Amino acid sequence: MKKITINNLSYKYLLAENKALNNISLEVAKGDFIGVIGPNKAGKSTLCKSLVGLIPHFYKGEFEGEILIDKLNTLNSSIAEISLKVGLVFQDPFNQISGAKLTVYDELAFGLENNGVEREEMIARIDKYLDLMDLNKVKDNNPFELSGGQMQRLAIASIMALKPDVFVLDEPTSQLDPQGTEEVFKAVSRLREENLTVILVSQKLNKLADYANKILFLNQGEIVAYDDTAAVFSRNDLEQMGMGAPIYTEIARELGLKNDKDQYPIRKSEIKEMLVAKYGKNIG
Amino acid sequence: MRNDQKKSLWSFNFSTMALVLIPVSIGINYVGKLFAQTLRLPLWLDSIGTILAGILAGPWVGAISGGINNVIYGLTISPVSFAYGITSVAIGITAGVMARMGFVKNMKRAVIMGVVIAVVSTIVSTPINIIFWGGQTGNIWGDALFGILRSANWPVWLASGLDELAVDLPDKIATTIIAYIIYKGLPKRITVLFEES
Amino acid sequence: MRSLSLYVKRNSLIHKIDPLTKIIYVFVSVISPFIMPTLMFAFSLTLINLLLLLLAKVIKRVIPIISFVFIIILTIFVIQGMFYGANQTKLFTIFNLSFYVEGILYAAKISVRAINVLLAFSLLILTTPPAEMIESLVRRGMPAKLGYIMHSVLQIIPMMSSNASIIMDAQRARGMETEGSLWVRIKAFIPLIGPLVMSSLVNTHERSIALEVRGFSAATKKTFLHQEEVPGGMKQLRVFFFLFLTAVLAWRLVL
Repeated sequence: MKKITINNLSYKYLLAENKALNNISLEVAKGDFIGVIGPNKAGKSTLCKSLVGLIPHFYKGEFEGEILIDKLNTLNSSIAEISLKVGLVFQDPFNQISGAKLTVYDELAFGLENNGVEREEMIARIDKYLDLMDLNKVKDNNPFELSGGQMQRLAIASIMALKPDVFVLDEPTSQLDPQGTEEVFKAVSRLREENLTVILVSQKLNKLADYANKILFLNQGEIVAYDDTAAVFSRNDLEQMGMGAPIYTEIARELGLKNDKDQYPIRKSEIKEMLVAKYGKNIG
Repeated sequence: MRNDQKKSLWSFNFSTMALVLIPVSIGINYVGKLFAQTLRLPLWLDSIGTILAGILAGPWVGAISGGINNVIYGLTISPVSFAYGITSVAIGITAGVMARMGFVKNMKRAVIMGVVIAVVSTIVSTPINIIFWGGQTGNIWGDALFGILRSANWPVWLASGLDELAVDLPDKIATTIIAYIIYKGLPKRITVLFEES
Repeated sequence: MRSLSLYVKRNSLIHKIDPLTKIIYVFVSVISPFIMPTLMFAFSLTLINLLLLLLAKVIKRVIPIISFVFIIILTIFVIQGMFYGANQTKLFTIFNLSFYVEGILYAAKISVRAINVLLAFSLLILTTPPAEMIESLVRRGMPAKLGYIMHSVLQIIPMMSSNASIIMDAQRARGMETEGSLWVRIKAFIPLIGPLVMSSLVNTHERSIALEVRGFSAATKKTFLHQEEVPGGMKQLRVFFFLFLTAVLAWRLVL
């Protein structure tokens, strides 16, 4: 089932010389987990901002084309309306704290209060997502006193509490230490269990290989590749465009290991399976 | 930023960027005052944020920054601050209007803007000083001047006005220059986002 | 990190009164002596405020809030005592300086009124958490965005001042001179405040986005996580305060 349809999307920021996105068209099915990769200025963040309607409603600039979330056209809806269908979490955990609430518990209520969710429902949702994001221990703390990983999980929980169908994460771990990164990816795996459609921009290719069923590769505002994860990571021209591949894909490439679809494996388990098939169970 | 609600005179309709700017500008006021105290400067420097808010997002946002600044000060630090809320509002409006008239183009104009802000601040503060303190400002040098002028039988409003101006003129000029320097240092991609829709 | 507040937690009758009723009380108590400018009236209201502060068990906390005012009051007595426009009756003379009854009485009136204002506000801010005060006003139609700004200020000030002291230490460690002549100290100001101001202004961009995607501009009617507890009899109390104010106005017009 189609969840997101993007038709001929182009966008140029105010004062910018070049288009940040240039004639992008793609479809995302319900339940897909899309990993978005690409070098600097590829248009990854611009795409994220477009999906939640910040473009064109928050940023003034030249917007062309359309984005449909189910039947909702982002151009004709307010950011608040779109935010109930598409959630956004971005890099800086600190700036995602509302700044108006004194406890983690109250912070989770911020979006719900704004959207007029009834009190009982609000409490039920807060309790659920505190639990899901493992924030129960810090629920009475000041949000600004959390660790980076906790803050980012709070940001994810705050958005989840709004119950969007689509979850967009724009490099959610780029400002976190390894422990925080691990915490956030654990949280991301919960999103998948909740059966949400996820768009995740990340440089952590190994993690994308684990989670994403498709990869969108952007470069200079255009789509280089949009295909199954293994297919994209098996391409030979990745390095040429300044991108690497997941570590297991690189190893498989060195070893010349390919599966029956003529693709390199992307996960440890696949390599193991293939090696076992080739050499028998007694290796390693 | 697009706003689909209809705009009426009394509605509270500002861009989110402008709204988020207000608490930050009040924080800047506070930090300015803090650094001025720590460095033992003979100035208040406690309205840098209000003036910046006016410059960046226009007179109304400047006015709200000034007003809320004093309400919050009044509620949490010193209740007298409520009374001078009107002065802060006037400072924010003046900064916003003058910035729109092109007074943040260069340093020379910024200094003129500082003088105008000082005069406006004095005009608004003086009646409050008279109602509240009988005309004094609480500043030693200003009040000494007030005492001398009163002993020479100058009218209260004039003595009090000069008392206030003696304090305000150096302070507001310095404050405006600092706000101007910060404004010029901000990246353009940020400043365009503040401009009112 | 704490939120900016002078609130003192106590178990008292005054603490139990809802914020709005207290706000109305403060308004009436502060404005009345300006409408009816007699020394006795201002003095009576001041006495009532003192009693209420005693009842709220926060009287000691008032001292730091109002102590600064005594220096100003002293100078008011000196200046008005000597130079008040209506001065006629000489009270006493020291070192050739003459003080007059009219000026001293005028100074007393101003001073008592100022102290009354400070005490009334102290009563409110020492017994009411600011966040509750703001929420109480938002419930009664103050724009939620205005409420956001005020909540946000309460958090941003302690945060920025703690960052300020970090910057101060860092710049000193790098050899910046923050002592010495006036010029040296003036020169230190911009490098101290600049980075802090820049980063907080740049941060407004992302914070705005974060608010937008959480329904900040939603047209829906807001709901509240916390319920407000208003003790019985508060409506009557509020009406009484307004009646009192009307009476003061009437009294002034008749006199």
